[in-house]
Amino acid sequence: MTLALIGEDFVRALLQGTPPGTVYALIGLGFVLTYKTSGVFNLAFGAQAYISAAMFFKARQEWGWGIVPAVVLSVFVIAPAIGLTLERLIFRNLRTASAVSKLVIAIGLSVALPALFELIADYKPVAGRTPTGIVPDGSSVFYDPTGVYPFSRDELAQIIVAGVGVILLGAMFRFTSMGLAMRGVVESPRMTELAGIPADRVSALAWAISSIFAGMAGVLIAPRLNTLISNDFFTLMVLAMAAAAVGRLVSLPGAFFGGMGLGWFIAVFNTYLPRWADDHTWLEPFKDNLTPSLPFVVLFGILVFWPAIRRAVDAADPLSGVDPPPPALAATTRHPLLTLQTRIFGVCFLGLVGWLGFTQADVRWIALLSTATVLSIIYLSITVITGFAGQISLCQGAFAAIGAFTVFQLVDRYDMSALTAALIGAAIAAVVGAIVALPVLKLGGVWLAIATLAFAFFFDAVIVKFSWVGGGESALFSGTQVPRPVIGPFDFGESDRAFLALAVIVLVIVSVAVIQLREGTIGQSLRALRSSEVAAESIGISPARARIVAFAVSAFIAGLGGAFLAMLEGDVNYPKNFSPVAAMFWLVLVVSLSARTVEGAIQAGAAFALFSPVILEGSFLEWLPYFNEDNLPGIFPISAKWRFVLFGLTAIQFARHPEGMLEFGKRRATQKRNDRYYARDAERAAAPEAAT
Amino acid sequence: MADTPLLELEDVTAEYGPFRALFGVSLTIHPGDAMALLGSNGAGKTTVARVASGLVDAATGAVRVDGVTMTREPTYRFAQAGIAHAPEGRSVFATFTVEENLVLYFRRSLGRKNVPAALDEAYTLFPRLGERRRQVAGTLSGGEQRMLSLARVLVEKPRLLIADELSLGLAPIIVDEVYETLTSIRSSGAALLIVEQHVQHALELCDHVALLDHGTIAWTGPSAEAADVVVDHLFETGSSS
Amino acid sequence: MTAVLESEVITKTFSGIQALSDVSIRVDAGERVGLIGPNGAGKTTFFNCLLGILAPDSGTVQFQGRDISSYPVHKRARAGIGRTFQRIELFSDTSVREHLLIAERVHNGTGAFWKDLIGLGRPRRDEIDRCDDVLDLLGLLDLADEPIEALSLGQGRLVEVGRALMTEPTLLLLDEPSSGLDRDETTALATTLRAVQAEKGFAILLVEHDVELVADFTERLYVLDFGSLIAEGPTASTLAMPAVRHAYLGNLEVSDG
Repeated sequence: MTLALIGEDFVRALLQGTPPGTVYALIGLGFVLTYKTSGVFNLAFGAQAYISAAMFFKARQEWGWGIVPAVVLSVFVIAPAIGLTLERLIFRNLRTASAVSKLVIAIGLSVALPALFELIADYKPVAGRTPTGIVPDGSSVFYDPTGVYPFSRDELAQIIVAGVGVILLGAMFRFTSMGLAMRGVVESPRMTELAGIPADRVSALAWAISSIFAGMAGVLIAPRLNTLISNDFFTLMVLAMAAAAVGRLVSLPGAFFGGMGLGWFIAVFNTYLPRWADDHTWLEPFKDNLTPSLPFVVLFGILVFWPAIRRAVDAADPLSGVDPPPPALAATTRHPLLTLQTRIFGVCFLGLVGWLGFTQADVRWIALLSTATVLSIIYLSITVITGFAGQISLCQGAFAAIGAFTVFQLVDRYDMSALTAALIGAAIAAVVGAIVALPVLKLGGVWLAIATLAFAFFFDAVIVKFSWVGGGESALFSGTQVPRPVIGPFDFGESDRAFLALAVIVLVIVSVAVIQLREGTIGQSLRALRSSEVAAESIGISPARARIVAFAVSAFIAGLGGAFLAMLEGDVNYPKNFSPVAAMFWLVLVVSLSARTVEGAIQAGAAFALFSPVILEGSFLEWLPYFNEDNLPGIFPISAKWRFVLFGLTAIQFARHPEGMLEFGKRRATQKRNDRYYARDAERAAAPEAAT
Repeated sequence: MADTPLLELEDVTAEYGPFRALFGVSLTIHPGDAMALLGSNGAGKTTVARVASGLVDAATGAVRVDGVTMTREPTYRFAQAGIAHAPEGRSVFATFTVEENLVLYFRRSLGRKNVPAALDEAYTLFPRLGERRRQVAGTLSGGEQRMLSLARVLVEKPRLLIADELSLGLAPIIVDEVYETLTSIRSSGAALLIVEQHVQHALELCDHVALLDHGTIAWTGPSAEAADVVVDHLFETGSSS
Repeated sequence: MTAVLESEVITKTFSGIQALSDVSIRVDAGERVGLIGPNGAGKTTFFNCLLGILAPDSGTVQFQGRDISSYPVHKRARAGIGRTFQRIELFSDTSVREHLLIAERVHNGTGAFWKDLIGLGRPRRDEIDRCDDVLDLLGLLDLADEPIEALSLGQGRLVEVGRALMTEPTLLLLDEPSSGLDRDETTALATTLRAVQAEKGFAILLVEHDVELVADFTERLYVLDFGSLIAEGPTASTLAMPAVRHAYLGNLEVSDG
């Protein structure tokens, strides 16, 4: 092997890595641009990009528009319109909200926006209809200036736009007052206004620009995908988070070169890995899985080892004292009478549901109730980590999947009892949870969310593919079957009703445990930490220890719930139940209802399982005397996508009501009655005194 | 004294959420006036300064600039009307460099052409800032951040300069320099509204004094008469040493 | 007298600027010591070095004869350093008694995971009683079930003191406790603190800008200016030193009557 040959391979690898690198760079730039100009770590970036790409696709392919009008519509009309709407309706009122609240809102949007677009524009992804780019014959005309690797026109367009983009945006920040003003508004809108700059107009402009950029990126990236699906955009976005992390979310050149570097690194790695694997046979089994894992390995490496990120601190607004403190939720001690009433009502309600469930329900209803119960168990894991510890974890799906796969593997290989296997699976999930949390706990906030999201996709792209997890090739034919447990004389596989009873028992046990933890020292420590970390430390609470416990407990519950979900369905059904995007919807759902209470998790479970069949398919009407299955009004069934729109948009309320909408409504409703009871008590107490 | 007051607060009340900070404060500042706001901790001095620059909206009452009612106008309109406010504490953009902090303000108030000259002036006034012009403002010491937030209002030569806790955290020599600059700004016709701990300094510079107590104006008058009133007022409940 | 806290030649620079140089102080058991200095003199930096929030460039912190320089914040708290905050730091949505209970239970180590799980982690009678004793001492017993949002700033500061007391500190660091309080509230706070200290016997390090409170409350004084100690000694004589008057009081004449 000559030196020249090595050189040529290397150059080819670099050129090969350039197009994907450009894609990462475009998305990384988008992240940095939005974060810098609006303070939002915009996980809805993928959604925005997707909408423009789909709009472009529809205009070109379905309406037969020319390239220019299609670009104008999708990139310069739709994209900024979305950005301006988001700014005006949501983010303008949240300038002083924490980065984590804004992140949750962005997650809600990333769930809601694509569904809303598909409903409004009547767009359906159709397999095999490959999107085209913004240059004619973009994918069929090639240029090969070096004679080593040919670039398509589409790829050249990407490269040019990314390069020009980084230069223009960089120039905007360096040389214009607008760039400074945008950064100023993110840090302190009031101080920016003191300089005579209208903050509202600046942030509207910032959103317009970053949304146009998102739309542009979407349209440019689309030709790389075979079919336009919003999830693919999301996945690409997660891959590109490493690029944004290189730029510490604030440096445009950092994000650009981070993205390019990632593309080059992967290409070079892929060029040389097979040769290394020939020399070192131990690499062989990893060969296939190393490539997809690289972006995550890089991201994790950056998060854990790059000192600049550890030092990155959210700059606080020096004038935040000017804003009135948020109205404290009337923290009330509930009147004992009200507590009693609530309990009686709760017992009656549950009794009624239980009685109906076990005596009246048909097969379909039992299945729905079982799903609701099992999902409630999983959602309690979000109650622990997000509700109690205040941390955003986006890898609960992976933890649940660990539980499910463990049951599958242990039963398959060792014929173990399914219930024992479920507990082992939960324990493994707990250990994994602690290990994932350990290195990134200190970062906290947005970075923790990024790290967990990366882990979720790493699990999805790499871990599931291992045969000792997902079953490998044999699972392709026989599925990942999971039996239901047999305990003594009870075989829960025989009767769906019995399995529902078992699931309810597990849910009750987990609920009680979660309440115990909340009331116990650990729960109180977490509450203290969430409220004031410095104060909690000053009385001897170790933030790291408390949060690792929270992570492990949360992962344990998720693992247990995941195992039960697999048992319920008789199969792990990984893509349907546990994919990262599905798990993100869990978070949105729990957070928008109530992340702080056990009821919240159960309501979220019920909402996930029942909302579609009961409300959207119109089944509730069948309970009325007139209607039956065949004469439902024409608007039913309503598309299940409304579920995403509804809960995604409800999550927007997170910044103002972090306790969740249901909890907020409940508190407000009980408030009045509470006050009345106390007033009556006071009157009674006063009465005898007046008499004397 | 000109006829139209530059700034007029009429019977202003202000609140932060449920907490009321001002109860019916009236103040008038004519072009060229220099007013010192004195009073104990929590008396409402900072809130008066914030209402005067539009940072805090008056809940009731009226705020007029050049005779035009600006009661609930956004803050930037006040700045565009020539009112510059250096808020208390470390009011700088922490992630900006020293120079970016200054440029953000100078570009709008002085125009792009005049930025280099203004920067030179700021660095002459505070050589320490010149040495650290590329440094990120968040890493400056408290005193240097204070210099930075003062530098911009001193160089801008606004029509009304509002400075909150002017000399807090500055070394005495620098305080003297700041006062020299203020004197020269005054003589060029700008009005001043100053919140100050160093009563002595403030009385030397200003011709008017407003003494605040629990969100109301307890006394106003020329500074010549102020010394005794202020000392009485500030120390009536205090010092037994 | 045995030293509770000894800091030796603490030095800290921020990007080339000397924030603290060779600051050494000593607090003896049961003593009330003040640390004053004009804003920007390095009080906060020094305070943060003592608490482990900042790592000094050089120098050590000895607490009860142990070198705690490498301890993280929460371990120093467990070792017996309690504190209050300049900008009040209380837990939202939590009653007054619950504030003390959290501290009490963290201090007792009642928080074993399995205990929490089976419900033994709930407050025991004796824990509640100990909290109520402290609340009584601070005059807060009537407010025990009040949500923290309903308290005044002065009461909130007392809750902070109570919370710190539950960890049975040997040293209490008070960070500008008078800030935001008026004269009467400050006097009341000082009176309560003195009473509590007489009962519990811990040492106090008071960082303040309110000279009157310091003059009234402390026995010994350290004065910081530009990151160095410029004076130390008994409070009255230290306050009378010309260097101190110049650095801290400036030109303002304080009446000596």
